[in-house]
Parts: sequence; C-alpha cells; structure tokens
Amino acid sequence: MKQGVDISGGNTRMESAFGSGDGDDEASASVAQKAEVKGSIFEQTYRPWRGSLGPRWVRNYAIFRHHVYGLFSSKGHRYYHPMVRLTILIVFLFSLSPVAMLFLASLGGQGGFGEVLSRMWGINRYNLWGQVLGFFPRNLCMWPLLTALVVGGMISDDRRNGTSAIYFSRPVNRTDYTAMKYLSSAVVLGFVIVFSYMVYYTSAIILNGEGWAFLIDTLPIFMGGLLAGILLVLTYTSLGLALSSISQSRFFAAVAFLAVIYGTKMVAFLIESTFESSILYVLSPYDGLAHIGQWLVGIESNYDHPLAFSIVSILLINFLSLALLTSRVSSLEVTRE
Amino acid sequence: MTPVGSRVLDMASDAAKEMLISANSLRKMYGPHLALDDINLEIPHGAIGILGPNGAGKSTFFKCLLGLIKTTSGDGTVLGYDIRTEGHLIRSKIGYMPEYDSLDPGLNAIDQVRYSGELLGMNPDAATQRAHEVLQYVGLKDQRYRKIETFSTGMKQAAKLACALVHDPEILICDEPTNGLDQRAREFMLQTLRKTVQEGGRSVLMSSHVMDDVESVCDRIVMIHKGKIVVHRSIDDMVKQVEKEIEISVWGGASKMEKELTSRGLSVRRMGRNMRVTKIDENTYSDILSSAAKAKVQVRKMSEYEPDLEDIFLLIMDKLGEQVRETDELMTSEYMGADR
Repeated sequence: MKQGVDISGGNTRMESAFGSGDGDDEASASVAQKAEVKGSIFEQTYRPWRGSLGPRWVRNYAIFRHHVYGLFSSKGHRYYHPMVRLTILIVFLFSLSPVAMLFLASLGGQGGFGEVLSRMWGINRYNLWGQVLGFFPRNLCMWPLLTALVVGGMISDDRRNGTSAIYFSRPVNRTDYTAMKYLSSAVVLGFVIVFSYMVYYTSAIILNGEGWAFLIDTLPIFMGGLLAGILLVLTYTSLGLALSSISQSRFFAAVAFLAVIYGTKMVAFLIESTFESSILYVLSPYDGLAHIGQWLVGIESNYDHPLAFSIVSILLINFLSLALLTSRVSSLEVTRE
Repeated sequence: MTPVGSRVLDMASDAAKEMLISANSLRKMYGPHLALDDINLEIPHGAIGILGPNGAGKSTFFKCLLGLIKTTSGDGTVLGYDIRTEGHLIRSKIGYMPEYDSLDPGLNAIDQVRYSGELLGMNPDAATQRAHEVLQYVGLKDQRYRKIETFSTGMKQAAKLACALVHDPEILICDEPTNGLDQRAREFMLQTLRKTVQEGGRSVLMSSHVMDDVESVCDRIVMIHKGKIVVHRSIDDMVKQVEKEIEISVWGGASKMEKELTSRGLSVRRMGRNMRVTKIDENTYSDILSSAAKAKVQVRKMSEYEPDLEDIFLLIMDKLGEQVRETDELMTSEYMGADR
C-alpha cells in the first residue's frame, strides 16, 4: 500500500562522530582498542499458549481475591504492610471483646458477678447499637482507623503506580473495576464490623443458653443493628474510596477520611455546645448513621433534629462520594498523555 | 440456504479478519481539538512501527484500537472486531505494554505477571504456569521472585513485556519499549520483540522515537502527524525512493578530493573526511577512484549508502514542514465561531 508524502529525490542526513578531525587532511591518527564482544546468556524460545480465557466473573473475582487475600497472605496478592495487618487484627479482636465478657459472665452463673457482667455486656438495645455505632471506642478509635487503613491505597496506589493500565488495557471495564474495589473494601470492613456484631449476638445466645423466646424478642432489634452496621460499612467505604480516588497517596486518603469523620463531629459538637442545636450533626457521617441506628434499634434519639435530615444526609454523602469516585475512576489513564 | 446478504457480510468479515487493523474515516475529537483526522488504514499482520512526533495522536490511536474511547465518527476493526462495540474482545486478544511504570512495586514479578493473566480471565494455575514461561522468555527467570520495587528500569520493561505476553496475544502493542534501557537491555528487548514476530507468529505494533529500534523490529511504518496518517508503507519501499549516494572515507587530502570530485561534475556533501557523492550510474565508482588517484588521497572506505529509517523520518518531517497546519486549523469551524 502506498500512501502519503512523496520523498523521492530527497537527501539523507550526514553525521560524523565527535572528535573527528584525524586524517581529514593530515595522514595521521590516534587508534582505539576494539570493544569486547559479550555472548548471549540463554536460548530464548517463544512458547505459545493454547488455553482459553474465562468470562467476566473470573476477571472480577481475580480483582476481589487480589485485594482481600492480601490481608491474610502477603505472597501473591496485594501487599498490606505487616503493621496494617496487625492493626486490623487488633481492631477485629477488640471488636470481639464483649464475647469474652459474655463468656466470663456465663462462668459466673446466676446472681453475683456473673449477673453484673451479663447486664453490662449482654444483649439489649443499647449494647447492640453500641457494638456497631458506639462512639467510644468503636467510632472514635476503631472503625475510622480500620477504614483508613483498608481503603486508603485502594485506588490511589493504582494512580501512583500506573497500575490502572494493567486493568484497563485488559477486558476489565471501569464499572467492574470500581465495583470490585468497592466490594473488596466493604467485605473487609464488613468482616470486622458486621461479622463481629453477628458473633456477639450469636455467642450471647449460645453462652447464656437462650431459647426461642429470647430469639423472637431480640431478633428484630438485632436485624435493626445489622442494617445500621451494613449502612455504616457502605457509607465509610464510599467516602474512603472517593478520597482514595482523588489522590496519588494512600496517606492523604487515610488522613482525609479521619479528618472528615472527626472534623465534622467536632464542629457539630462545638456548635451544639454553644448554641444548643444539633442540626449541624447532619454534616457528620458518623452522627447521621448513629441517628438512623438509634431509630432502627428503637432507642431514644440523642439528636434534636428530625430523623429525615439524617437519612437525607447519609444518602447525600453516599451519592456524592460515589459520584466523585466514578468521575475520578473514569479519569484513570491507560496510555500516556 | 444462507441469504446472499449474509454471505456478503461473512466475506467482508473474513477480509477484515485477514487484516490486523482496518480503519475507515476514523475521526476523534476532544472538545474542539481534532486528535485523529479521517484515518483510513489497513494494516496487515507483521511488525509495524507507529511513528510521529509528540502530540501527533499516537496515544489516541492506541486508545481507539483498544476500544477504550468512543470515536467521533468513522469505524474500524481490530482482528475483525468492531472497535466501537467489541472493545473487551479486542483487549482480550491484545497485549499492551505501556511506556510508563505500570507495575505494583509491592509484588514479586511472578505474582505481577500471574495477576495480569488473571485479569484477562486465566485461571490462577494456568496464569502461574504461563507467568513462569513468559518471565523466562523475557530473561527474568532468575529474578522472578524478586519484588518489582528492587528492579532496574530494564527489568521493569521486561516485566511489563511479560505481563503483555502472558495470554499469548495475537497483537502486541508496545509503547516505547526501549525507553530508559542501556545498550544490552535494549538489544535484548528488540531481539525478544523480533522473536515474538518471527518465531511466535504474533503481530507487533511498536511506537518509538528511536528509529533504529523500529527499523530493527518492523518491516512497515505508519507515521501520524497532526492526527493524520501521512505515511503507511514498507520501510524498503521508502528507502528505494531516496536518492542514491556513495559514501567514501578518505585519508589525507579531503579538501583536494572534494575539489576534484566537484570538478568532474559530481555532487558532493562533505563532513570531515567523510563524503557522500550522488550516484549517477555505475561509472560514478570509477570517477571517484580516478579523482582519488589524481588528488593522491587514500580511499579507506567506499560503499553505497543505505538510508535508514531515521533518514526517512527526517526527510518526511522536512517535507511536512512546509505543510504543517496551525493549531487554529485543527479547530472546527463551530469552535472558531464561523458560519457552518
């Protein structure tokens, strides 16, 4: 095929090495040694591959596995720093601490110390709410830290290392990429937050030898707390991933997440202390969730403003976070610009 | 009985499959900026160099081929798949090696390549086995359990190539594969690409600013300039078009030699003791030797100069210099506020 510019009759470039001059007009020269020739190392042979590629779910599961398995095994999957893994383990064990107290209570028997422990750590509306949504220590020390550590580098690492090209130059679309990153983060958070909540409830039934009547009484409250826990996991994941997607640094994403959680809470607290109005708590993701959680498990609300404000606030936070996340993921590059 | 229309479609589809890439009036605009302008192209299997200055539209062209961006108008196929609707199928048949870093520094090479395979849909066992094979092929067999953060630039480039080759793609797209490599690593990379074409029977689309690299791997070039395909031809074809010259290197008395050659009506270009004499016919050789005898200089070397790809590239750019369009010309009339 012939196409384009005609270059017939053109002259090629002329170049000469640096230091040329010897022998131009005088017949004398300085002589250099010949360069050493090195041999080849091995016999290189191209081997074809005759396998077949799996469908979409296989690719998506690979992304999910890569991110989640990395927490358990550092080999072959996403690398999590040992301190990060240790912190997550500590948070998980700490979230199971009521189970240990229930165990002690079960050893104490009826009356006395066992009953005190059982009353303090046993199943009731406040404890079920507190297991997920209690501010101290869970939402002050544990869940935000856990989210920051898990979600921080989830997308920012791809932006920094250019590994987005590994995904998007393959048949992985941006929706699948985002969904799998989201699912991976949510599953890790869910494992610590929601699973520990379920273990707490189940162990209370088993250790106290509760029957069907107890189950029927408490199951709706448990389900309310479960829903609140899932909502917390989704909201924290959305917010954390959105922050991760706008930066090239996992540190920024992590610190920004903590700043949003603690900053909004602090500002709302100061306003409430000064003006006796809880309305600014609608800005705080934690307080929005806590308010909804109180309604779901049926305990008295700590907030003056209507529940609808908190529901709208949480929906908006999730919507805006997801909008930011999808917008930033769509800007991840495959080829250089 | 197969309907006639369907048979015609099948034949057209077969013809498209024979071609590696086919584009028909392909146009891509980013807002008012025209990135690809009316690309008509049919690229057969083999090794093809994609050339062009920075900002010419090479990256946009690659993105279109990978089905990653929607074209503004026109259509095209890669291996018979429509770039507008079958991007995911195209990407499963293509191995893409980006220019910049695209490896996870926290992973071992073997895990990185295996994960690249898994992202294509390979099952973990097959991906692991294949990762060992391709890492050996690209020369990283002994380094495969090392973390990528400890790799040199050459090793990273090789690891990227391994990631691209893990599923034995029909087309390998390499964006500046020799960037930042020393001489030995560069030669090994080029040798690997050549083997992939010659032994593996795969096609390679290679973009590079180093013409020698493109020339040593590719037999055809596609040159993009200001969003247009300005050249699509085999390198041999282009070399034949350039004026023939005889290159001589003399020892002592180069100025006298130049005068003597000029006095015989020969066109001479001189740089130091090296000269290029335009070859008129076979007698030019004897004219040169006679001139040397008369000027009493030694002719240390005399050979017909074979223009290389860089010569051709520079010639083309020189020719295009007269035709380069201004940025304003790349803007659409709508943007410029002109009447439609």
